[in-house]
Amino acid sequence: MKVSYKWLKEFIDLPLSPANTAEKMTLIGLEEEDTFEYGSNLEGVIVGEVLEVTQHPNADRLQLCQVNLGNETVQIVCGAKNVAAGQKVPVATVGTTLPIKLDDGSLITLRKAKLRGEVSNGMICAEDELGLGTDHSGIMVLDSELEVGTPINQIFELNTDTIIDIAITPNRPDATCHLGVARDLSAALNLELKKPEIPSSSKVVQSSADISIEIESPEKCHRYVGKMIRNVEIKESPSWLKNRLMALGMRPVNNVVDVTNYVMHELGQPLHAFDYDEINSKKIIVRDFEEEIEFETLDHIKRKCSPGTLFICDGSGPVAIAGVMGGLHSEVSDSTTNILLESAYFDPGSIRKTAKAQTLQTDASYRFERGIDPNLQAIAAERAAALIAEVSGGELNDEIIDVHPVKTEPIELTLTKTYLNRLLGTKLSIDEALEIVDGLELEVLSKDEEKVTFSIPTFRPDLVREVDLIEEVGRLYDYNKIEAPNHGIFVSTEKFSEWELLISSIKKASVELGFREIYSNSLISEKEAEQFGSLDSMVGTLNPLTKDMTTLRPSLLHGFLKASAYNFNRQASGVRFFEIGNVFEQSKDFSYHEGIKEQTHVLFGLSGLKSIEHWTSKPVSYSVFDLKALVNGFFTKLGLISGISSVLDEDVLSYKFGDVEIGTLGFVSTDLKKKYGLEAETFVAEFSVNVLMAALEKVPEKEFKPIPKFPAFEFDFAVIVESAISAGELMEVIESKAGKTLQSIEIFDVFEGESIGSGNKSIAFRLHFIDPNKTLNIKEVEPIINRVVKTLEKQFSAELRG
Amino acid sequence: MLDDIVALKKEISTYTVTNLEELETFRLEFLSRNGRVQSMFKNLGSVPKEDRAAVGKGMNEVKQLAQKRFDEAKTVLENSVSQTKSALGDLTLTAPSTPIGSLHPLTKTMDEMKQIFYRLGFTISDGPEVEDDFHNFTALNFPPNHPARDEQDTFFVRKSDDPNMMDLVLRTHTSPVQIRLMENTKPPIRSIMPGRVYRNEAVSPKSYFLFHQVEALYVDENVSVADLKETLITFVKLMYGSDVKYRLRPGFFPFTEPSLEMDIWWGSEKDGKWLEILGSGMVDPNVFDAAGVDSKKYTGFAWGMGVERIAILKYGIDDIRTFYENDIRFLEQFN
Repeated sequence: MKVSYKWLKEFIDLPLSPANTAEKMTLIGLEEEDTFEYGSNLEGVIVGEVLEVTQHPNADRLQLCQVNLGNETVQIVCGAKNVAAGQKVPVATVGTTLPIKLDDGSLITLRKAKLRGEVSNGMICAEDELGLGTDHSGIMVLDSELEVGTPINQIFELNTDTIIDIAITPNRPDATCHLGVARDLSAALNLELKKPEIPSSSKVVQSSADISIEIESPEKCHRYVGKMIRNVEIKESPSWLKNRLMALGMRPVNNVVDVTNYVMHELGQPLHAFDYDEINSKKIIVRDFEEEIEFETLDHIKRKCSPGTLFICDGSGPVAIAGVMGGLHSEVSDSTTNILLESAYFDPGSIRKTAKAQTLQTDASYRFERGIDPNLQAIAAERAAALIAEVSGGELNDEIIDVHPVKTEPIELTLTKTYLNRLLGTKLSIDEALEIVDGLELEVLSKDEEKVTFSIPTFRPDLVREVDLIEEVGRLYDYNKIEAPNHGIFVSTEKFSEWELLISSIKKASVELGFREIYSNSLISEKEAEQFGSLDSMVGTLNPLTKDMTTLRPSLLHGFLKASAYNFNRQASGVRFFEIGNVFEQSKDFSYHEGIKEQTHVLFGLSGLKSIEHWTSKPVSYSVFDLKALVNGFFTKLGLISGISSVLDEDVLSYKFGDVEIGTLGFVSTDLKKKYGLEAETFVAEFSVNVLMAALEKVPEKEFKPIPKFPAFEFDFAVIVESAISAGELMEVIESKAGKTLQSIEIFDVFEGESIGSGNKSIAFRLHFIDPNKTLNIKEVEPIINRVVKTLEKQFSAELRG
Repeated sequence: MLDDIVALKKEISTYTVTNLEELETFRLEFLSRNGRVQSMFKNLGSVPKEDRAAVGKGMNEVKQLAQKRFDEAKTVLENSVSQTKSALGDLTLTAPSTPIGSLHPLTKTMDEMKQIFYRLGFTISDGPEVEDDFHNFTALNFPPNHPARDEQDTFFVRKSDDPNMMDLVLRTHTSPVQIRLMENTKPPIRSIMPGRVYRNEAVSPKSYFLFHQVEALYVDENVSVADLKETLITFVKLMYGSDVKYRLRPGFFPFTEPSLEMDIWWGSEKDGKWLEILGSGMVDPNVFDAAGVDSKKYTGFAWGMGVERIAILKYGIDDIRTFYENDIRFLEQFN
């Protein structure tokens, strides 16, 4: 909300500069977002005399003016039709900065220029270009008596100001006007608040001969005040009024409308002025409808209003959307002579709903939504009526119509010393606390050393509990002044959770294995998601802003493929990524919420070149065995490797810990790669961290094992088998038959060729045997090998290679 | 014969070897099967019996000396000559690259925060990204018609008219983890809650539809604004250096009362400006009530901050989307 520094000064004798005022406002919770100067002192604009006007040779709509500036005569190109020889005019000389904003927000500074080939030494200005008014119909013609060369700022009272734009938090409806901001500052700075003097009508009536007011929906309209002003003359507002509004960025309209806006910014009450003679049947009815209503608002837009929208109606139907915007029909126009002023309290929820449905936030709806003072309506109506009478010559009667079905009484709240100091960590007495909040107009009903009871003014609907009062003390005391507690920073004996430790071990291990971490989107499009399974099993969003955010990722694969493609398109030669993140599916086996399974996964992916061409080697592509080796390294790092097994499940290798599946490793299909524009062979492994966590809980605590005292015995042999038989199947047999001295199996050669018959392959194994108690020799190992080979021969028709 | 041995010893001792060819010549001359030393051994049979012991000993000494000289020369040559002078021993040739793993800058930033909070005695907790209306809004004192519940800001995952089926959303902040923590733990509670959150917003350099937050919660008897302030100040000093300039000012959040925001001064003394870095406050009694914590007995503070925002400040990144593009040229800057 924009706040005028000059206007604030009407209410308090501010001893602070605009910048310091803005800072103080921030420190009491009215956060400054921007501060800027409004208007200009018009330095460099002087009175000139037009000596001669001729047509611009190259432009029909421009004229060349010879202008006497006192010490020189210059040529100025002018586009205004009303320029004529003999006039005294305001001339902005070269170098002058005018209060006209460019697109980037900076102000125009005049330079000597050529317009269509003719030199122009400055500018003859219109009223609005000098910030002296809104007229832009032609150049401003000055009093012919003025002396040429006189600075304009000696002739006019200039409208300059500093505007402080503040962010009002939703709990502070009282601060949406100048008086409210001034009140807060007066409390914070211990200054007297000077409120405007407002007359009051002698007769408060429910209805009058002029108008009857009826509220049919009191839950949506708690109060409706009407005030008549007769025989107004609709015209331009006086400059003090226009200047106030223009400084806040508003366009003056006419004297009546300007006053309603002025009072809204002054007191916080949105007002509406009706052309009384356009009100059918002299009747105001505040009501909603069960059906949808179409209504044309002031901005010439025909709006469809859903059932329940609150309207102000006259005898023939709706004349305004309550609290949001008036209608075209009863608008104040140049021919208006009698005014009915509306000052009402509308339910914040009702207005918010309507404004949102219409996507229309007006200055009025902004205030009603937040909740204005429910006891301000009559005061604001009186204030506005008096001002309208003053600026329009209108006449007031001594009646005010006040229909007030739902009354709001001030509530009582008690502040206790104990809770105050316990929550703030201060040592304030009740008297000190009172001094701090003095100025907020909290009325003290009773007090003693321990507590104070206030009557809370109704303009502070945010103060409903003791803790809200404590916030008032805190914010005006200044949190920066609260002293450090006398106990030190705490110590904790709690360790990080096992889960947290696992996540950091995974990240650490992945980095050590040379993977780069990526962060990818967890919301993907349906089209992308479909590639990874049926959408029926996935979790979707109901209201995404765009189609890119429809589905929660079922796995981390999409993110990896997208990141890989992104990098290959930018000349990367290879990628080696990992990611940890949550994945989602619909499942009866849910984690937190029925039907939704949310799990943390870790993905490892390789694609492209492992090493580029180099004098030490030819380029080497990643192979699936690189990934397998890294995954083994990963499980080793986590301390899980001894419990891990893997089986071939169609095209992927499925990893298990005991009987539980952890995840898979495999190739990315050609089809899928194509969809992402990937060419290189690509390999991924994805595991559930939740399952890893469960597995880790089963792994016994690490214990030192003695280093073997005796050397290992190494034995190599190769078998020829049919190509369809996997190495894993062979190794499973070897492991089961070799006994407990078998330490490890490596495959050191794989061979296919005519020499061993087509459809066959040879696999060469190297077995390591260790006995903790002695050095093994061939005599002990030979029988084992024989046993193994026999079984291989029997089960797989394997043939021992010589 | 003994004279021959002495002469040969002298010859071997003074023989100079300066390159590999000379070394080979030396080897052939003295150490090969037909070399001079070996030939001497062949003649041992013709030495008179009484001299044989002495001659044999002398011959062995010669053999050892030759071997020693050979080894020494070889070592010297290998260390100097062969490596630096051959083409492949040129140390200025480029080395092949080795794969370097790295953590994402957001992980790095979160890790840094975790480290600081660990020093401050906080543990780490987490909760789901798909959250119910109660934990994300109601328990956090969001009134039923609060704008944040509007579809525009929140991704809904499930909406139901059935009162027994709670609406599900993608959590809009990490604060619901506070509620889960308080539901399941008896105070004192001192924990941080890092995680991913979602807002249904248009993507721009300044905003993304998902981002990360770190939330902190401390609940105990007599926790005060003074404690909050002390913890905040310690945090910013550890995060931004002990000379960081900061200020606290009032703010507003539904789930804290009073609410405070913290700004730090960013940039030079003259051209810098205040930047908001976190929101905080004392846990609202309504939140305690919703989470089943005795609000008469306990007080607490909570605070939350955006990880992207802090990383952006820390590294001078100008577009939030960069974090999710995973360009290696970006990632490798955080090796």
